[in-house]
Amino acid sequence: MKADKTLDVRAFMCPMPIIKTKKAIEQMEPGQVLEILASDPGAKEDFPAWCKQTGHELLEIIEEGDVIKIYIRKK
Amino acid sequence: MSDKKRIVIIVSEKSLDKAMMPMMLATTGAALGAEVHVFFTFWGLDLLKKKINPKLKGIMAPFTSIMNAMMKKKNIPGFHELRKQAMELGVKFYACSTTMELMGVKKEDLVDGCEVVGASTFLNLALESDTALFIG
Repeated sequence: MKADKTLDVRAFMCPMPIIKTKKAIEQMEPGQVLEILASDPGAKEDFPAWCKQTGHELLEIIEEGDVIKIYIRKK
Repeated sequence: MSDKKRIVIIVSEKSLDKAMMPMMLATTGAALGAEVHVFFTFWGLDLLKKKINPKLKGIMAPFTSIMNAMMKKKNIPGFHELRKQAMELGVKFYACSTTMELMGVKKEDLVDGCEVVGASTFLNLALESDTALFIG
């Protein structure tokens, strides 16, 4: 999936991935896609929850080995 | 009242675990787009002091530096980092005025940006909140 920006939060544990994502998405334009690379096993549940509360669109979550790739479109 | 969801948290203890929980929940709550208010009372008030290094409770206290080192190794932010993040994210911190009087704590001992309030101010926020959590 094509992303406008990539945020690497591997090695960070909850709550930092979500906090860094919030800060990153604030710098983006509506409609742009943010790719997040995470390693926290909680991320697969946490990012859908974050999207539900913030209204950003969760496009896809892909697991590739130890990497969890999350794609979010800014509302 | 804004259309944001509101979370209120009361903290009454100052051990490292009781210090980390509200900071993690407050920062995450703010990142979720909620308005977060944290009220520090009794021993919890110490967590608003500029100079504070929370320790594990009781007989575990000597192992605090090991716990902090483990957290650092695992890239888990420390108490001061999370407290700073929380304030940057707009989390509101309140110091219990009665506890300040009781413990002889001065406003200048506390982090900049926190407000000194009484129970009514906090309950006024709590009565119109979506979630209230007690950490003590």
